[in-house]
Amino acid sequence: MLNIFKKVAIAGAMTLAAGAALAEYPEKPIEVIVGYSAGGGTDVMARTAAPFIEKYLGEGASIVVKNMPGASGQIGVTEAANADPDGYTLGTFNLPGMMARTIDREADYDRDSFTYLANVVNDPNVIVTSKNSGLDTLDKLIAEAKENPFAVTVGMSSLGGDDHFALIKLQNATETEFTIVPFKGSAPARTALLGGHVAMGILNISEVAEFRDQLNVLGVATKERSPFAPDLPTFQEQGLDLVNGSMRGFIAPAGLPEDVQAKLLNAFSQLSSDQEFLDAMAATANPVEVVTGDDFKQLTSDLYDLAKGVWETTPWN
Amino acid sequence: MYADLLHALPDVFALTNFAAVIIGVVAGIVVGAMPGLSATMAISVLVPFTFGLEPLVALGLMAGIYNGAMYGGAIPAVLLRIPGTPAAVATTFDGYPMAQKGEGGFALQVAVVSSAFGGIASAFALMLLAPPLSRVTLLFGPSEVFWVAVFGLASIIFLLGGNPVKGLISACFGVFVSVIGSDPIYGNDRFTFGQLEMLDGINIVILLVGLYALPPVIDLLETPLKTDGINSSKLGTESIWKALPRMNYWKTWLRGSFIGIWIGILPGAGGSMAAFMSYNEARRTSKHPETWGEGEPEGVAAAEVANNADTASALIPALTLGIPGTAVAAVMLGGLLVHGLQPGPMLFRDNPDIVFGFMWQFLFGAILLVLLGGSLATNSFARLLNLPRPLLGSVIIVLMLIGVYSIHGRMFDVYLMLGFGAIGWVMDRLKFPLPPVVLGLILGGFAEENLRLALRIGRGDPMILFQNTTSLILVALTIAVIVGPTLKKRYIDSRKSA
Repeated sequence: MLNIFKKVAIAGAMTLAAGAALAEYPEKPIEVIVGYSAGGGTDVMARTAAPFIEKYLGEGASIVVKNMPGASGQIGVTEAANADPDGYTLGTFNLPGMMARTIDREADYDRDSFTYLANVVNDPNVIVTSKNSGLDTLDKLIAEAKENPFAVTVGMSSLGGDDHFALIKLQNATETEFTIVPFKGSAPARTALLGGHVAMGILNISEVAEFRDQLNVLGVATKERSPFAPDLPTFQEQGLDLVNGSMRGFIAPAGLPEDVQAKLLNAFSQLSSDQEFLDAMAATANPVEVVTGDDFKQLTSDLYDLAKGVWETTPWN
Repeated sequence: MYADLLHALPDVFALTNFAAVIIGVVAGIVVGAMPGLSATMAISVLVPFTFGLEPLVALGLMAGIYNGAMYGGAIPAVLLRIPGTPAAVATTFDGYPMAQKGEGGFALQVAVVSSAFGGIASAFALMLLAPPLSRVTLLFGPSEVFWVAVFGLASIIFLLGGNPVKGLISACFGVFVSVIGSDPIYGNDRFTFGQLEMLDGINIVILLVGLYALPPVIDLLETPLKTDGINSSKLGTESIWKALPRMNYWKTWLRGSFIGIWIGILPGAGGSMAAFMSYNEARRTSKHPETWGEGEPEGVAAAEVANNADTASALIPALTLGIPGTAVAAVMLGGLLVHGLQPGPMLFRDNPDIVFGFMWQFLFGAILLVLLGGSLATNSFARLLNLPRPLLGSVIIVLMLIGVYSIHGRMFDVYLMLGFGAIGWVMDRLKFPLPPVVLGLILGGFAEENLRLALRIGRGDPMILFQNTTSLILVALTIAVIVGPTLKKRYIDSRKSA
């Protein structure tokens, strides 16, 4: 009799122990909301990172990527901002776009709506010119822009994005004026450059890596040379203080339980030292720069201030 | 390069890779045949699943779906006058009258053979001519693309026959719908009534399903007792090999392939414009144009050959420049990115086996279409008309709702579709042509965006629109399309009176 009781008691205790272990985060699949359709740059980042996050969250963690495309990512990020802060809904986050949207239109979120997990990708801007423009150095380009204000046409993706802010920084730094031609996305802008329909373009380094023979790439907007094109000088090397890029990372709704937040931050911070992850990102042309937690929050805040400042002097719509 | 092409061939025949193409073609036909489900959607649903697949399995599925769906769209277009995909609108012109005359089976066979012909021609263009054709794409800057859109709109209004004023009104409605959403340059909201769902504009599938599928369904349900039994009993389900010799449309096929490939390499316009242009041209050069629109098999051939001929060619700018020629090509580009295939001139050098293997898969997808589509079409889909009309109508409504809901997974789109359905029903009753609405939505956005980009490049000077030969040729073609029919009529009248 006693034996049976003992057995039952032990079995019960084991079940309880197992239950306690299960209750530890994450005990069910974690959803990552991507505000763009499958196959886009942000989606590829999320799906490439997912198995590594699962690995660092520990046994049994599973991540499900959910695409909610629309309104330049705003629908998805709004959903993530307003989700239950239990750690089971995360979202992707794009800078400066997500902050610019809080300025140029009404948004149901602001910079305090999020728990900042990690920025993962930093795709720096490059300035390129078409082969037939004859503007094959930065000096020639700036000289031309100074001589004939608004004569240089600049192809880029939409207004209020990283390309646009890079141009504004360029204009302010060099006291020049350009004519902005905002295409729907970078690929059409690049094609217009290849065809010589616009003279200059502001793109991201991952977008021109395959086209360096067909375009003049004048420099990259980073502090140090990019591993994507080690022979390409930075603007700072050329005497122009221009650092700018497009960033993509992960956020959660504000107000996560502390243990959950700590666990997530720990998992994300291990990405930067995982060679397998870095290789996978390089294969999809994603320059990695991992910035986690408070630093990421600060980064977002800085970009918000920049966008706000630009908006106040030169609103784009 | 041609050595690379041959080198890629063995991999294509690996069991899993080839099976992927077969599955893709069958799935594509089914998806294309359902009103509301399109190749774009099927491939975007597929893309996330391809992460774990070998590249050629994933790409084979996509190539198969693309080819299959472009033909599949013809099935409901012929049988029910409901185009399954935007590109199948022109197929309804003669396909549906053929089905009414009891030649539905033959119409489907013409459609499948023509689709395969166009697909094969397009695959060859992609395999052999991609680099030179991508240089043609570069000639088309914003002002040229603007004129392409204007030319397309003018053709649909003035060449389609019927009443040009009604055509113009329909096209204006389409262009108006294209204006909804955020403005392409500044991003200001237009006619969105504060709805986040409308910021990206109206998805073409929502409009197509509403306009085209709801009115025929209402017709079906209005007269529930009338049967199509007479038609379906004579569907003409002879084997495709017996029907083949009756199809002597070589000129139409070659012309349609040429048009389709050409439109495919231009950014944006896509299969529906190709099908209309091919149909117009084939009718214009026909010896008996009066039979067109009343069940002329050559009309089905013209439309179907062209909407498949732009499939592979739309990938030429997608692979070489990263700008997709059609919405489907855009989604496929995403599928390529997932596998680390970055579009650009280096793609062909860095991953020749995969890129050229993908091209072969397009070719085999098109060839398989005859075998798989031929038997599926006549033996199963054509029997659809045997169903009781209330049942058929309700099934279609269910499919429409599911299809539209699944685009973004939201009810908002379903209500929108029903609204367009009501408008479509009224327009149908008042004999307003529906094709200009579809093209108006597709081309209107393009025309606006590119006009504004061109004017910015010209710093406000409209002369930028007339500054090079390509633009001027397109302007001349547009004028010819507008005044051509009138001049021709005058000429015939004056000969009669003389």
